[in-house]
Amino acid sequence: MFLKIVMNDVRRKKIITATVLVFIAMAVVLGSSATNIIANLMQSIAQLKTHAVPSDLTQMHIGSYDQGAVDALVAALGEHIAEQETMYLLNIEGSDIHFGANRTMVDTVQDISFVVQNQKFDFILDLDNRKLDIQAGEVAVPIYFMKTYGLSLGDVLRIESRGFRKEFVISEYARDFEMNSALASSKRFVINQADYDEMLEHQVGEMEYLIEFKLHEHGDLRTVRNAYREAGLPSNGPTIEGRLFSLFNALSDAAVVMVIVLISLLLVVVASLCIRLTFLATIDEDLREIGVMKAMGISKKDIRNVYLTKYKVVATIAGVLGYALSFLVVRAFNGNMRLYLSSDLSGSLQYVLSLFAPVAIYLIVVLYCRSVLGRIDGISATEALRSDIMQRGKHRKYRFPLLKNRFLDTSIYMGLRDVATRIKLYRLLFFIFIVCTFIAILPLNVFNTMNSPKFSTYMGIGQCDVRIDLRKTDTITADFERLLAELENDSDIEKHAAYITCSYPAMTADGRWDYILIETGDFSVFPLQYLEGTAPAEAGEISLSFAQASADGLDKKVGDTVVVQVGGVEKQLKVSGIYQDITNGGKTAKAGASLGLQHDAILWYMVNLDIALHADVSAKMAHYQSTYASAQVNGIKEYARQTMGNIIRQMGAIVIGGLAIAIVVMVLITALFLKMLLSKDMSQIAIMRSIGLSAKQIEHQYLAGTMAVLLPGIILGILAADYLGEILVSMAMSSMGAASIRFVGIAWQTWLVYPLLIIVVVGITLSLSCKIAVAEDLSVVLRS
Amino acid sequence: MRTMLEARNVHKKIALDEDNVLHILRDVDLRIGEGEFVSVMGPSGSGKSTLLYTVSGMDRITSGSVRFMDQEIGSLKEEALSKLRLEHMGFIFQDINLLKNLSLIDNIMFPALLEKHVDKKAVHDKAKRLMEMTGIATLADNSITQASGGQLQRAGICRALINEPAMIFGDEPTGALDSKSAAEIMTILAEINSQGTTVMLVTHDMKVAAKTQRVLYMVDGCIIAQKHLGPYVESSDTLVDREQELMNWLVTNGF
Ligand SMILES: Nc1ncnc2c1ncn2[C@@H]1O[C@H](COP(=O)(O)OP(=O)(O)O)[C@@H](O)[C@H]1O
Ligand SMILES: [Mg+2]
Repeated sequence: MFLKIVMNDVRRKKIITATVLVFIAMAVVLGSSATNIIANLMQSIAQLKTHAVPSDLTQMHIGSYDQGAVDALVAALGEHIAEQETMYLLNIEGSDIHFGANRTMVDTVQDISFVVQNQKFDFILDLDNRKLDIQAGEVAVPIYFMKTYGLSLGDVLRIESRGFRKEFVISEYARDFEMNSALASSKRFVINQADYDEMLEHQVGEMEYLIEFKLHEHGDLRTVRNAYREAGLPSNGPTIEGRLFSLFNALSDAAVVMVIVLISLLLVVVASLCIRLTFLATIDEDLREIGVMKAMGISKKDIRNVYLTKYKVVATIAGVLGYALSFLVVRAFNGNMRLYLSSDLSGSLQYVLSLFAPVAIYLIVVLYCRSVLGRIDGISATEALRSDIMQRGKHRKYRFPLLKNRFLDTSIYMGLRDVATRIKLYRLLFFIFIVCTFIAILPLNVFNTMNSPKFSTYMGIGQCDVRIDLRKTDTITADFERLLAELENDSDIEKHAAYITCSYPAMTADGRWDYILIETGDFSVFPLQYLEGTAPAEAGEISLSFAQASADGLDKKVGDTVVVQVGGVEKQLKVSGIYQDITNGGKTAKAGASLGLQHDAILWYMVNLDIALHADVSAKMAHYQSTYASAQVNGIKEYARQTMGNIIRQMGAIVIGGLAIAIVVMVLITALFLKMLLSKDMSQIAIMRSIGLSAKQIEHQYLAGTMAVLLPGIILGILAADYLGEILVSMAMSSMGAASIRFVGIAWQTWLVYPLLIIVVVGITLSLSCKIAVAEDLSVVLRS
Repeated sequence: MRTMLEARNVHKKIALDEDNVLHILRDVDLRIGEGEFVSVMGPSGSGKSTLLYTVSGMDRITSGSVRFMDQEIGSLKEEALSKLRLEHMGFIFQDINLLKNLSLIDNIMFPALLEKHVDKKAVHDKAKRLMEMTGIATLADNSITQASGGQLQRAGICRALINEPAMIFGDEPTGALDSKSAAEIMTILAEINSQGTTVMLVTHDMKVAAKTQRVLYMVDGCIIAQKHLGPYVESSDTLVDREQELMNWLVTNGF
């Protein structure tokens, strides 16, 4: 009997019940996959880290090198340093690496080095997280290159350089904790010691040193770093702290995961709004039924149970469905992570963690039902039989008389009136439209921001066409001056600016001297996006990167003073602004050329330039690349594409996914909403038809009402995604150690294409679901 | 006298399930002339309401023909039929059927405001006039929960009249009212009829039927007899006579 009532109820409200089920299932799918993906991500990063044992501090260096001096430092700092190992990188030009049918790696922006596996730590692993052990004649290729160039195991790489020629068979993927991410600017190929020695002997490539330190658990990073500087040890290159590697790894996947988590949270909101909507729209009818049941003498408890059971059953089915489906979603998303981080994501933990979402959502549904049912309890049988809950209680003043309407068609006015008089119901639809729009627009904003040329400025790269880096060689100063002179006279160069980076001692918050990198030059030519304040414009000003300004850097705010030694003289510099930077370890600073150079600690030279519209960019780049042997010429667009390409592609998939979810949800809810409204209003509709309103005129009323909430819903949703979304994304970014960002929206997409698309899709849904049945005799409804 | 409404061989069947078909109207013929005041009587369940709904186009007939103002109703599309109802027919129901979200005067004006480019002021004036005529002018801005049954029925009549229909249909409009209210409603309807509007009423109240010009008697879905009473002139003597005459006739027909 009990189950029969439940089944009857479900059968009678097929569409409503099915829609509620779909919503709950959808919320579970997204909630589950998000928890699953996060768990996988954290677990696999942790595992990879355990196996790879990344270094805590890495100094890159090109030039002469004396291991003895480093060893002396290690001996002196035994309480901090656990292990030290220097990896000898053989840097090979991409153009010297041949593969497939006449292809080379010339177009990569990554630095390529060939290395031998370390002995003590910073291991490069295979896809099973085992230390790579490469035989002679074989090479392990970084995953990034395997994917970028579509290589597979067994393919042959050929090195051709200055008459030397050697072939390697690709025997393994190289999974490299430190340099996996496209955001890290170099990649390590692992070969056998014998092959390495042979290449070294033939002077293939350029030698670079990775002087790596593994600290004790309580070792102090800053002490080691400063001792290293003060000892005057080799430091021609950036210094990289261990956690930057984790940040790179996380940034590549976490951004995507966070957006998915946000979407699923929002879907949970939509699902509960939808349940509330269902309750509100059906409550009159439910009340009448409850009245009948009460009159039949069925106890309150049983009545409660009928309704609770129904929603419990629906939530359970939806939970199981969503839980199962979530694993499909996870498989699709994890494809990338499996390769870069860990191939073994099995383990029961993910099944347990994924249970969290369905259980939480089930509880929300049940709690919600209970609170609604609580209200029904207070109503007597007779009250339940005649009352209309929307109109119950207070006698409101009569609003919106028909004569107030001056310009609108009466049907449209009636629709708008309906919204105003039943605001409780329409309000929910309105919220749902806002949330859906948010779901669609937020990923689009993130995607457009990442895709915009401006985004490179968030990574610390000025917005320019081409960037030329000069590596330190004996002729660097002469080369630099020659380059500047040539740029000055080259009419194809629209503008350019030179920057020199040196290492300067600077006073830390606790009064010690710490070495920091300061780039000097004119920063007004290629402005960076500043998070706060402005670029250094006058003498005596300095700007800091977000990481350098934060507590574990110099700990400064805009307007504070930084004391820096230049050539032994102390200078007071005012912080003019803070910018985001992920280059060179993330801790950088910028100051005008008037600061002066630290001549014995010049690290590198860089030139940014814009090429005139009429000139051929790639020819220009090739020209400068071949003229200056020590230069590395990169197109910024290409650079951004290669470093950000992967994450942008993933974000693109989410844009499509988010839009699809938003549209499906809006279509479903709109259809459901109208179906409920029409059945609720059946008698009023019959009265209007008896007066002589055509079905079309009545449809127009409902169309006008729904559109009246859809349009402002879209607008508010877009505004929320623009402003609230920016705050949310910034918070997420800073929780990962990056800094807040500004969205770069594309107005015609958010304000034209999206609204039009939604209006058309929802409009079609509306007109399809808003059909007044005219086949039936009017009297059937009027008499009942 | 010109024909306002003409029904021929009208059948109405309703399929209850696959085997059972309810035959509600069986071969009904009916002609109502312009300006007539006709009532339909008969036992409960004889099909009086169904007749009213079918000849006014609210329900579709199963077979036969219904012509209203020289138009074949069955051949009209939904939209045209609605327009015909809106412009030329008025309805008064036993359970009133006002829209619950509109005030009384808005309920009354609503049908008139559906026409494009109406003079809203004129509509308002007309609604006011009708409300004065029916004695509910003070209730204009009341909601439908703030009026008695009789007052609501008067508002219903005002709404039926707002578009100046050619014909008014009433399905037991006095059925739910006390006798005093019922008498007042009938006075109003007689007044409307005297101004030229055709009226067709379903009723089971002899006092009501006695005030109409012609009474049809239905049994089991057929009009089995009719009685011409002639125009009624207000006076209690004649009313008693008419009631007596009607009573005798009804009894001979098995009332
Ligand atoms: N839609 C319907 N479904 C089933 N039976 C109906 C329907 N409409 C009318 N009837 C039946 O048809 C008969 C005539 O109804 P009706 O025209 O309302 O009679 P009256 O108004 O004379 O009382 C009644 O027995 C009624 O139950
Ligand atoms: Mg009836």
